[in-house]
Amino acid sequence: MSEFDGPGLYIHVPFCTHICPYCDFSVLTGDRSWQTRYLRHLLLEIELLTDSGWPEQVREPPSEAFDTIYFGGGTPSMLQPGHLESILEAVRAKMHVRKDAWLFLEANPEDVTLKAATTWRQMGFRTISLGVQSFAEDNLAFLGRQHSPRAARRGLDNALAAGFDTVAMDLIYGIPDQSPRAWQNDLDEALAAGPHHLSCYQLTVHPRTPFGFRQLRGELMEMDNDDQAELFMLTHRHLAVGGMPGYEISNFAAGPQHRSLHNQKYWSHSPYLGLGPSAHSFAGGRRWWNPRKIKAWMAPLDAGRPPLDSAEELGLESLVLESLMLGLRTYAGVDFDNLPGGLGPTLWRDNRATIDELVKRGLATVDRSRLRPTLGGLAIADTVARSLDLGCLRKEPP
Amino acid sequence: MVAHRGTPSVESIRNFCIIAHIDHGKSTLADRLIQSCGAVEDREFRDQILDSMDIERERGITIKSNTVTLLYEAQDGNRYTLNLIDTPGHVDFSHEVRRSLMSCEGALLLVDASQGVEAQTVANLYLALEYDLELVPVINKIDLPSADIERAREEISEDLGLDPYEAVLCSAKQGIGIEDVLEAVVHKLPPPIGDPEAKLQALIFDAQYDPYRGVVMICRVKDGRLRPGQRIRLMHSDKEFEVEEVGQLQLRRVETDELSAGSVGYVIAGIKTVRDIAIGDTITEARSPAEEPLPGYKEAKPVVFSSIYPMSTDDYEDLTTALDKLALNDAALTYEKDSSVALGFGFRCGFLGLLHLDVVQERLKREYGLSLILSAPSVRYEITLQSGEQIAVDNPTLYPDPSQIQSATEPYIKASIMMPERYIGVVMELCREKRGLNTTFNYLSVGRVELTSELPLAEVLFDFYDKLKTVTQGYGSFDYEMLDYRPTDLVKVDILVNGEPVDALSQLVHRDMSRARAVRYCERLEETIPRQQFKIAIQGAIGGQIIARSTINAYRKDVTAKCYGGDITRKRKLLEKQREGKKRMKVVGAVEIPQAAFMAVLTSDSQK
Repeated sequence: MSEFDGPGLYIHVPFCTHICPYCDFSVLTGDRSWQTRYLRHLLLEIELLTDSGWPEQVREPPSEAFDTIYFGGGTPSMLQPGHLESILEAVRAKMHVRKDAWLFLEANPEDVTLKAATTWRQMGFRTISLGVQSFAEDNLAFLGRQHSPRAARRGLDNALAAGFDTVAMDLIYGIPDQSPRAWQNDLDEALAAGPHHLSCYQLTVHPRTPFGFRQLRGELMEMDNDDQAELFMLTHRHLAVGGMPGYEISNFAAGPQHRSLHNQKYWSHSPYLGLGPSAHSFAGGRRWWNPRKIKAWMAPLDAGRPPLDSAEELGLESLVLESLMLGLRTYAGVDFDNLPGGLGPTLWRDNRATIDELVKRGLATVDRSRLRPTLGGLAIADTVARSLDLGCLRKEPP
Repeated sequence: MVAHRGTPSVESIRNFCIIAHIDHGKSTLADRLIQSCGAVEDREFRDQILDSMDIERERGITIKSNTVTLLYEAQDGNRYTLNLIDTPGHVDFSHEVRRSLMSCEGALLLVDASQGVEAQTVANLYLALEYDLELVPVINKIDLPSADIERAREEISEDLGLDPYEAVLCSAKQGIGIEDVLEAVVHKLPPPIGDPEAKLQALIFDAQYDPYRGVVMICRVKDGRLRPGQRIRLMHSDKEFEVEEVGQLQLRRVETDELSAGSVGYVIAGIKTVRDIAIGDTITEARSPAEEPLPGYKEAKPVVFSSIYPMSTDDYEDLTTALDKLALNDAALTYEKDSSVALGFGFRCGFLGLLHLDVVQERLKREYGLSLILSAPSVRYEITLQSGEQIAVDNPTLYPDPSQIQSATEPYIKASIMMPERYIGVVMELCREKRGLNTTFNYLSVGRVELTSELPLAEVLFDFYDKLKTVTQGYGSFDYEMLDYRPTDLVKVDILVNGEPVDALSQLVHRDMSRARAVRYCERLEETIPRQQFKIAIQGAIGGQIIARSTINAYRKDVTAKCYGGDITRKRKLLEKQREGKKRMKVVGAVEIPQAAFMAVLTSDSQK
């Protein structure tokens, strides 16, 4: 969407009432007093930005105004409306934010009462995303979710009633022993609830999470690759038929206007700024991120310094690899003419045989300078990204 | 320390070694003897001082023998020159043991007070008797709570036929009885017999390599004298050199004026590599040579062969250099260029046994930092072709067309396994499984059994040690000697990946074992080759006949349908890592085979 091609702002709200056993995000439970401390520090972090609205380390800050603000977590819907209000106020005071910036809020279904939804809507939020995860009791129990299928439906109804532009929902699939039939039922329930956007994430077991430990002990097995593939295909096919075609590996929308403007910035190397613990930022070929732990994030702020954990300068090869890796996860694919560094034509020529092979095996189609994965190609996007030769991007030593 | 430039009189010299089963405390006893003779300052002292290689220290074994000269003032007030000739403690190196024994007049026979007499003790005893050595039994580790001195005495008497009351009691670890051991060396072992005025005859029983001086030969002078400036001839290789320096090995080299009859010491003669000399050769004077060389020259023939490839083909040059350097002081190691379609360039190497192979591999890894893949070890087969021509084959890739083969023979060993009697059943079964013949056993003492079996060496190379360790729960000890070549029904098993043979995995096997081996290889590959974009067929075949197969299905999904948010760095780094890994994979028939798959197939279970 060309009208939203400015930078995006991400604000990480690290609170949850309960930590899900699969989650490896930066989250904590903890009482209300934490929220006050968090808020104070977040405002400090905003205060430390330069007048350009970017941290000092960004030498040439983007001139365009921010046009998306995304509250993610954690559970941003746990924040009191007053807190959300103060954050938005501080942001608008310090940074260039477009008046009609698209505001996103991630929410726990139980928090989405009609009253709360209306309040958020009035604050200017246009997309609300509900962490439903499943409509099946047993799956919710396995995933350690606290809400019931009924609560999820109620939350969605409230969100729709409050009149958000886009009501989105997250689902998780690939739960051990989940049958295609069961997953299809879940998808049907989701479609019936009438959201505009769906994110279907495959269960990934991360080390150092309760699921990770259970896997180490041999109590939990990730789903077999063939079964995963089957569910993946089923998801894309079934949702397309149900009026929610996919536009990325995990994302589906009832129409182009409902696609996630904010996430698309991540995939296209648009600049973005992340605030809060563990938040990542990218601008001017540089990516940097905040400490994951809330205390490690707060400590430098208390000392009047920005909470930087690490940063990396992306070379041309990394930029191109990211563009390919992320582009090949989208239905639109990769336009080689638009790759960073302008070496797209050379890359294409170097990889002619691989591209021909992909087309021959029905994994991709070619549209002028664009390589567009088919559904089969999306399913092995990592293989495709790995198989491309980026040798021409490496500078030969003189 | 007193410089000792003169030549000690023959009567004051004692040349001796310590023979013991592995782990009975030989190195510790050597340490104590060295310490109590003041050959080394306490602050310089480190355990297992003669075991100079890290691997020796770690595994508690002696691989390369070392010799040390001790100056001892005995209780009778006389000064003695004691040459302690260290012997390797492993069967692979029995040729070294033999040469070491030949340089001695006597030996301390070490017995662990709690373990008693073990397989190697007996084997070495026979060797020692063969060389007519005077023996003094030493019961070590008497301080242990589990020490049973009376039982050890009994075994010394019954299993070894030695006078148990001659035995010296000590604890090398605690430093108890060390003086008694030294006194026994002086008084119970005979001085050497030799004539300094006779024609020079000196046996080279070891060699070291000094980067500055070249080869340092360690020898025992039988008759005559060795002096700097002398023109010497090596009698077997018929090469001549000029002596630059001679001396004693008091941990460091101490230069002396000469080495005369009865002495043990080193000779430096401007020799560039150990390949120029042969251990076991006799040094004589070029001008007036001895009539005959001393006995003991026997070429160390490799019996185990394996191809070594660098993990990364870029490391080939480094591997070449490393092998060249290793070979400078390991005369038994043979190597020649080899290449594999799957693994690139490497070397076909010959070893004295599995431990030797292990040691070389470890040294290449540790001392030269190389990551390697080794092909499955093979023995050398003797093959008679239809034409009547006889050829030796130790590399499966050189195996002739089966239709050209009339018959084949393979090497057999005589295995001697000692163990508590409760394991007889399982060990006999293991020997049977390994095509063992004439398996018999006899009781060494109550509860202890020695089992002997004639086994094909090829079967011993393939997980025999591991299985023996497992079935005897670590209580079985194993020793072997080469026996002879016997007829065999040999086949070449190829492993095919998508129809293409992986040459590095081909092996020569007895027909009876071929199916099991092929199945095992296929299974290991199935477990370790990651699924790829297409189906992979893995087959084991003898010629055109498929004897084992397994399949790796194509994966249909390789993408993480997960939300990364702005953390794209993590995702990219993972991909970069995988791309890097892909580069190191070997490609056979368009199938990417990771190094791990070769390792899994070629490494035995216990090493994994």
